[in-house]
Amino acid sequence: MKDMNVININHITKDYGNHRGVFDLSFQVKEGEVLGFLGPNGAGKTTTIRQLLGFIKPDSGSVSILGKDCFQKADEIQRKLGYLPGEIAFIDSMRGWEFIRFIADMKGMKDLSRAKELMEQFELNPNGKIKKMSKGMKQKIGIICAFMQNPKILILDEPTSGLDPLMQNRFVDLILEEKKRGKTILMSSHIFEEIEKTCDRAAIIREGSLVAVDSMEKLCQGRTKKMEIAFAEESMATEFMRNYAAKHKQNSQKQGYDLGQQGNKVILTVGNNIDQVVKAAAQFTIKDINVHTQSLEEFFLHFYGKHENLEREKLSESIDVESDVQAGKGGVR
Amino acid sequence: MNLTLYKKEWKSNWILWVIFAAVLTVYACMIVAMFDPKMGDSLKMMADSMPEIFAAFGMADVGQTLLEFISGYLYGILLTAFPAVYIILLSNKLVARYIDNGSMAYLLAVPEKRTKMIRTQVIYSITSLLALQIYIVAVLLIYSQIMFSGELEITAFLRINVGLFGLWMMIGGICFFFSSVFNDTKWASGCSTAFVVYAILVQMISQVGDKFENIKYATPMTLFQVDGLAAGDGSAWVGCLVMYLIGIVFYVTAVQVFARRDLPL
Repeated sequence: MKDMNVININHITKDYGNHRGVFDLSFQVKEGEVLGFLGPNGAGKTTTIRQLLGFIKPDSGSVSILGKDCFQKADEIQRKLGYLPGEIAFIDSMRGWEFIRFIADMKGMKDLSRAKELMEQFELNPNGKIKKMSKGMKQKIGIICAFMQNPKILILDEPTSGLDPLMQNRFVDLILEEKKRGKTILMSSHIFEEIEKTCDRAAIIREGSLVAVDSMEKLCQGRTKKMEIAFAEESMATEFMRNYAAKHKQNSQKQGYDLGQQGNKVILTVGNNIDQVVKAAAQFTIKDINVHTQSLEEFFLHFYGKHENLEREKLSESIDVESDVQAGKGGVR
Repeated sequence: MNLTLYKKEWKSNWILWVIFAAVLTVYACMIVAMFDPKMGDSLKMMADSMPEIFAAFGMADVGQTLLEFISGYLYGILLTAFPAVYIILLSNKLVARYIDNGSMAYLLAVPEKRTKMIRTQVIYSITSLLALQIYIVAVLLIYSQIMFSGELEITAFLRINVGLFGLWMMIGGICFFFSSVFNDTKWASGCSTAFVVYAILVQMISQVGDKFENIKYATPMTLFQVDGLAAGDGSAWVGCLVMYLIGIVFYVTAVQVFARRDLPL
């Protein structure tokens, strides 16, 4: 039973024109698995999820959950499914608690103890009017509505958007807890870290096509971080540079790997050689270390770098995007 | 039908219903009160001073009995145009609004068939109109009884109202259909409004003079023949039946289209 596919996406195409939509997409989510669905905005994540929920029909191919067609048998599937929409849209005139009660009634639930538990976990006071709530509060209501019936399967579209870092961590805990209970979860995101912490496997989608489906371990191989080490003196930085460049020649020549010095600071790209880098740096006095994690676009760049049979066109495009990201909001996480 | 959703719709739309019921009550009572010979004279004078406008509103040659008086002044335009506005607003809220703002995702992410959800909205649309119809009939009957006891021919009056509800069903079905097929409230309410304005405008023009009389065949409002229903004419009943049929066909089609279409949620 462990290998049974709960969610089955089979060569679906939904073409909205202008290269928007999804094209010949296939992947499966096994029972008890947490699958991350990664892709930049507009890649087709929500289009895929809409088909899983039976809101739209694929032009070709098929989608099924528990062996049931997602469009024809949407009502039967819903008995076992919790869904968190990517766009928060409630009935504004209702109060938070009223809305949760309403959804519970619609789902035919009697027991609201799980909803109350979740409200405590996320520190939500649901008594206000939804119209006046912040984005984060609305997101919490969405999360409660998705999880409160204790469904076997969860489909979550960008579940942490709008949540502050503390609540994002609570959410990660919730996913891990649900995973322990054997739930099958598909969650989309454009943030790699979120997926990394919770998922067994990830499917990566770009421009409507599947780039990869693989275990997190495999996907994380070759993932790099940008490290910024500030030494006590400039001479230390120069010394470190000399040692490092000699040892890691092959790395520093690899595409996408930076190595440079700015006064007492050294900025370099670190991959699986992180241990050596840290130990080499530890010979000197360090004032500060910053680690910039990769944006999804940067990650894609490396990913494409590994699979060179992929179209060159896409590669150059993602380099453009990367430099934009660097210039714009290459922030520290 | 999904009872939870049905109750929710009453809860969030009762104010709209009350507002329209109140406006209609005021008009209904005003017109009945004017049947009083003294007040009626002033109304007659007004009608004589601007015959075209009164004709456009279907208020030309209003007869002498209370029934003719009510049917002329109320059923010509007031009880068709005002409820039509209610229907446009309500239909838009029942489907298109949920699709447009995305909350339909929550209504459909429940273990119920899509057809059941949309049927609930159809039932709400019809019962809310029926409640308005019953209410206004009750107001007219009671108020006429108080003011002019025994003057109203009740059976003929009820026949007119069977026709009026057919008209509401027809407009209701068409507006509900627009609400169910578009992704955007702009389009849904735009088409509904365009249809209602067109239908009523053409009816008004056709009533002004003989020159334009034939364009009455270009508006479905003509199917509602007030005088014919009062007299119990066969052709008036046919018109009435056609209105109900149009209404039902549009409601049913709306359900079918909604159940099969792609929703941008």
